[in-house]
Parts: sequence; C-alpha cells; structure tokens
Amino acid sequence: MGRGGSRVRAAEATVVLEAKTASILDYESFVDNLLFLTERDRCRLKLAGGEVFDNIVKHAAPLCDGRLIARAARRSGSASILLGFYFSSKSFDSVAAEAAGTDGAKPVFDPAHRRWRGMGMAMCRNLARRVSFRPGETMDRIYLEFDPA
Amino acid sequence: MTQLDIDVRSEHHRLLLAVSGPINSYTFTDFQEKVYKAIAQSDTAIDMEKVTALSSAGIGVIMTAMEDAEATGHGFAIVNPSEIVRLAIDSTGFGDQFPVVKSLKLV
Repeated sequence: MGRGGSRVRAAEATVVLEAKTASILDYESFVDNLLFLTERDRCRLKLAGGEVFDNIVKHAAPLCDGRLIARAARRSGSASILLGFYFSSKSFDSVAAEAAGTDGAKPVFDPAHRRWRGMGMAMCRNLARRVSFRPGETMDRIYLEFDPA
Repeated sequence: MTQLDIDVRSEHHRLLLAVSGPINSYTFTDFQEKVYKAIAQSDTAIDMEKVTALSSAGIGVIMTAMEDAEATGHGFAIVNPSEIVRLAIDSTGFGDQFPVVKSLKLV
C-alpha cells in the first residue's frame, strides 16, 4: 500500500470507513483528531479529502468489500503531508475519469437540484499540490499531497 | 461537531441564519432548504463563524442563493466565516465574488 518510497513519515494515522454518504462525518472526525497537523492543514485535508471521499462513494461504490481506508501522514524533512484513499472498485476508471475531466472545468447549474455543481475536484486541486490516481490489481489508490501550511 | 444546526431569527429587518457544524454531502440539504426559503422572503445574512466544514455542495448552494438574491432584489451576505469556510471559498478560484463580511454591522 503506497509507502511513499524511502521517505520517512514523522506521523501517520489511518481510519477504515464505510463507503456511504453518512460516513463523511466519520472522515471529518478522523481529520479533526490529526493533532500532528496544524489547524489550517486539517482544514485542507477535510475539504479536499471530503471531495475525494464523496467522489468515491458516488462513482466507485459499491466497493468490493464496502469499505475504504484513509491514511494521513506527515513526512519528516520536507514536512509535506500525504493523504491516501485505498479501496477496491470495479469502476475505478470512472472515478479517475470524473476527476481528470474536471481539470479547469467550469461550474454548471443543475436545475433539477437547484444548485451549482462541478466544483469539487477543482477545489481539491486548488487545495492540494498534487492529486494522483493509481489503479491496482487488488487495490485502487488516490493520493493527495500538500505542502505544509 | 457532527450535526448541522441552523438557528433562524429575524434581526434588523433581515433574516439571520446562524449555522453550526459541518455543511457536507450528508447535511447540505437542510442548509439548502433554509437558505433558499430565507432569501425568497427577505434580506438574508448567514453567520458562518461556527461552520466546521464546507463542501462543494454547500458552495453550490451559496452560489445559487447569490443569484436568487439578485433576482429577488434581496440582500445576501456571509458573515464572519470560519477559517475552513474562507479556505473553501478561496479554493473555488473565484472567492472574490462571494459577499463575505466580517461583521453584521458591515452588511
């Protein structure tokens, strides 16, 4: 599960989440308790990671075992922050395509739900230095990398 | 804080919505309902000092409320946003278009 090469992690924490909308509350609670991060860094992980979580639930569910893992880590040295989502899905490609397709996308108004949509991944990319997707034989991965605030 | 709480009261000829907790994919529909209802009735201010998350769904609601306010001629403002609200608004890339004020006195 993506160990980030030889770079040493100064601190890390992991949570296992059910792949359902209500579990966004568990994800936010997980981030609130990442006390090795600053308040501003926690805010960035909560916002950007929340958008990724929503996309996984919306586009990749049902997951093969119904759960996904989120792991946050701060690297020693550079102090950069990594947030990884690990899950197993038969529709990972559609998640990645959805995310990749929103590069520079403009918001669109959804008249059925009476609200503007399509900003989630753009917000995510503005909050994180890098967002990457890696499908795997047994596990798919989405990584977000942040510079320290 | 995992529950969204929205206190609606009338103050100085406008509706003030004091929001506490997370506005995310699970909770935003309550936020949407109360904000749209308020803006249809009168000038509206949303106190976001105690908001602990603001997802793209919540941002989308605020953008629609801004347009509704223009259409109805009602005033609309986001008051005293928390750090995460400011960060969410800035992350859209067009944060300067949101009607954010530090205090109700400035509305």
